[in-house]
Amino acid sequence: MLIEETLKRIQSQKGVQGIIIVNSEGIPIKTTLDNSSTVQYAGLIHQLVMKARSTVRDIDPQNDLTFLRVRSKKNEIMIAPDKDYFLIVIQNPSD
Amino acid sequence: MSSVAKEERQKRRTLVLRPSSRTINVSVSGIHGVNQSTRYSNGVVGSPSRKSFSLGGGSKLLEKSVVQTPRQAARVFDEEGNDVTPQVLYQADPAAVQAKASRFFMDEISAGGSASDQTTTTGSFTMPFSRSLLGSSRISSQSTIESLNEEIEDTFSKRDGMSINIPDVQGKRDAMKELVTEDMLKEVIEVYISETDSISLLDIPSTFVSVDAHDAEAIIERNNQYAEVCRNRMGNDKYVDRSMQTLNGEAKNKQVQSDSIVMVDTAATVTAWDMYDTYISPEQDETVCVPQAERADYPEVAVDTSRGAEKNMSVGSSTSTGSVASSLKEQEALGNGLNAESELQLIMLSEKFQHLLLVTERSILGNVFQPKLAAYRELPILEDSDIPMKPGTVEQREDTESPRPPAVECLWAFSCELSRGRSVSSMAWNKKYPDLLAVGYGELDSSNQKPGLVCCWSHKNPTWPERVIYCDSAVTSLDFSFNNPSQLAVGMQDGSLVIYNVQSRNQLCVVSSSECTNKHLAPVWQIRWTQQDLSLTGEEKLEALYTVAADGKICKWFICNNGLDCIELMKLKKIHNTKKKAGGNKTEKKTESVLSALSPGLCFDFHPRDSSIYLVGTWEGLIHKCSSSNSQQFLETYRKHFCPVNCIIWCPLIPDVFLSCSSDWTIQLWKQDHLNPVLGFSSTQKAVCDIKWSPKCATVFGAVNEGQLEIWDLNSSILDPVIVQPAAPGVKMTSLLFATQTDCVLVGDSDGQVTVYQLKNLSVGKNSQVDILEDIIRSAASR
Repeated sequence: MLIEETLKRIQSQKGVQGIIIVNSEGIPIKTTLDNSSTVQYAGLIHQLVMKARSTVRDIDPQNDLTFLRVRSKKNEIMIAPDKDYFLIVIQNPSD
Repeated sequence: MSSVAKEERQKRRTLVLRPSSRTINVSVSGIHGVNQSTRYSNGVVGSPSRKSFSLGGGSKLLEKSVVQTPRQAARVFDEEGNDVTPQVLYQADPAAVQAKASRFFMDEISAGGSASDQTTTTGSFTMPFSRSLLGSSRISSQSTIESLNEEIEDTFSKRDGMSINIPDVQGKRDAMKELVTEDMLKEVIEVYISETDSISLLDIPSTFVSVDAHDAEAIIERNNQYAEVCRNRMGNDKYVDRSMQTLNGEAKNKQVQSDSIVMVDTAATVTAWDMYDTYISPEQDETVCVPQAERADYPEVAVDTSRGAEKNMSVGSSTSTGSVASSLKEQEALGNGLNAESELQLIMLSEKFQHLLLVTERSILGNVFQPKLAAYRELPILEDSDIPMKPGTVEQREDTESPRPPAVECLWAFSCELSRGRSVSSMAWNKKYPDLLAVGYGELDSSNQKPGLVCCWSHKNPTWPERVIYCDSAVTSLDFSFNNPSQLAVGMQDGSLVIYNVQSRNQLCVVSSSECTNKHLAPVWQIRWTQQDLSLTGEEKLEALYTVAADGKICKWFICNNGLDCIELMKLKKIHNTKKKAGGNKTEKKTESVLSALSPGLCFDFHPRDSSIYLVGTWEGLIHKCSSSNSQQFLETYRKHFCPVNCIIWCPLIPDVFLSCSSDWTIQLWKQDHLNPVLGFSSTQKAVCDIKWSPKCATVFGAVNEGQLEIWDLNSSILDPVIVQPAAPGVKMTSLLFATQTDCVLVGDSDGQVTVYQLKNLSVGKNSQVDILEDIIRSAASR
């Protein structure tokens, strides 16, 4: 299936540490990381996404958040949100 | 009560009564009082007694013969000069107090009579006594002073009648009685009474109504009625005086306990988008996946509040958000709640998720390829301070100072597992989006026939093509349309021509030429969309699709009835005057058979200014200039090559100049009106597969032969290429394309890779150097 292939490709890209798919309640439903990290990421990022989305929409309710990237010293967290779920990819580009 | 002043009569003994609300202030009147004070000078009988005294009567007291001195400073002495100052009740010795009390009993008779009793330690008993006595004294106050004595006697007798519980008091009383003499009784005692403040018990102020008011008449009438009633009251049988006593019912206590009020704290965060969603949501159709559809079955109000509540919950930062929201969902969902598995399935199937994945993948790759892409775009390469730079790369960037020889730098390669092993046969840029590249894969030699493949690549994702189109046979050429930029025409080895629409993910094959009767039967070597200048409509240039195939036909195609149809533009007949060539005789003999009389056309190119003129390169090495209006004859024939001409291109910057390359290892530069080439270039002994002009600089062109990439700069050298990039071992380079907006070349090879090279340090000026080329050509032509 196309999505499966894409996921596999993403997983095999250079520096990608993990992929997590979280549903709208903040519960991870698919992950390639270990359990504790997944739960931690899911919970924390869920709040961040809600806040970011709220910020964008408060400024203009017709707008909506499409992508969120958090660049840190060690890696980059890319979050693609949707109404019912969001996708988190953690990448370390210097690997 | 008016005060009675008897000062003119009795100056000797005057008692001044003052209203005493709480305080006890009755002053001794003069020294006389003191002298005669055996009876009166007991004035200070202890403040507590006075207190009770005052309580009994309030301020409406008649104090008779009460002499009082202020508690603190007064000291009372009797005739003998003994200190008989009354002590404070509670502190005093009973013995001492009793002695005093017996002496001054007389004074106590008047309303304050009981007070003397109170001087004893038993002050508290006399409260009721004082009241009764005071009451009598009150009455007596109305009488004149003359009757005072009688009253005193009355009270006296009353006193005797009273049963006093305290035997001490009785004893004292008896002792006091002796002191009262006849003279004393007859004495006139002056009593001064003053008025106290009025106390108002009931005050109902009248209401005033203006005469002009609406109900004034009614009120006036009522008032009149009332006045009449008042007048008639006296002697009226209707009114009888009667006294009533209210009975106070017994109070009963009852206890009630209410349910404890449960207080719940709720909070809500109102956001602008929440309100917007609430207004918008009833108008939109809810056609989304199951969990939301279940929610939509409920009345809108419930949905909104729940969604709002969910949002409120989620806005908060508590970690119990998930559990609360999930409990809400459980209440709402008709089903038994979705487990993670089915949710995952739903998500995986949604289109949106695909798009998200696409964007995510591009972002990831953007990170990975960022320096390369920046170089492609000629942007400054940002150094990531977090990533430690390798020392080698640093050196490469410090190249601005010393003049370095021109070189190419490999940026990246479009390659994926699909394309690996296939040979790149043709590449084309999209006309509208200059970054979209279509690559056709197909084996040029017919030994291993794989089905063809077309991939559309974008620089955003060098590892996976944006579109993958599987074709029936090997792809030999392709081109994007001008007018419909999403249409890609693909020519294949079996002669068929298919137009694809690359916009949608489901690769729509727009039209195929498989049903056309006139279609090519041999590989379509080149396909070209051309915009024609002559357009009657004026708005959009008409566009036509031309192909040249190995069967020697040049066809013009158009779409009709959901199919392609073509008209033959030109047949590439073999020219008879090829006697110089070895195969000339043979061709003469074969003029009669149609098939062999046509020489396969390998490439063609339309004049950039005049789209009716085009050049065709043939298998024999001849280049024909033809016109689309004349389908019978060639306008010109250029002879130089003796091997198949692989590629012909007009110079985009200078009219009438074109390049041709052939398998005879040479590249020829022609001018349109010269039948002989102006310049010829050769560098290696390999067939030159592809050749392209640089779109920016007139003196630069690139050539690809099997083993290397060559960049020629006619400004610097006409004998050797300026840059030579050898191919990877075992790989043959097959096609070449210049990037339109940056200094990059793309080279396709036989391994399915399309490598992007960046040209560096080509000493090209800002101008297109057209004049330089013209000079070169002129000088060469004149030789």
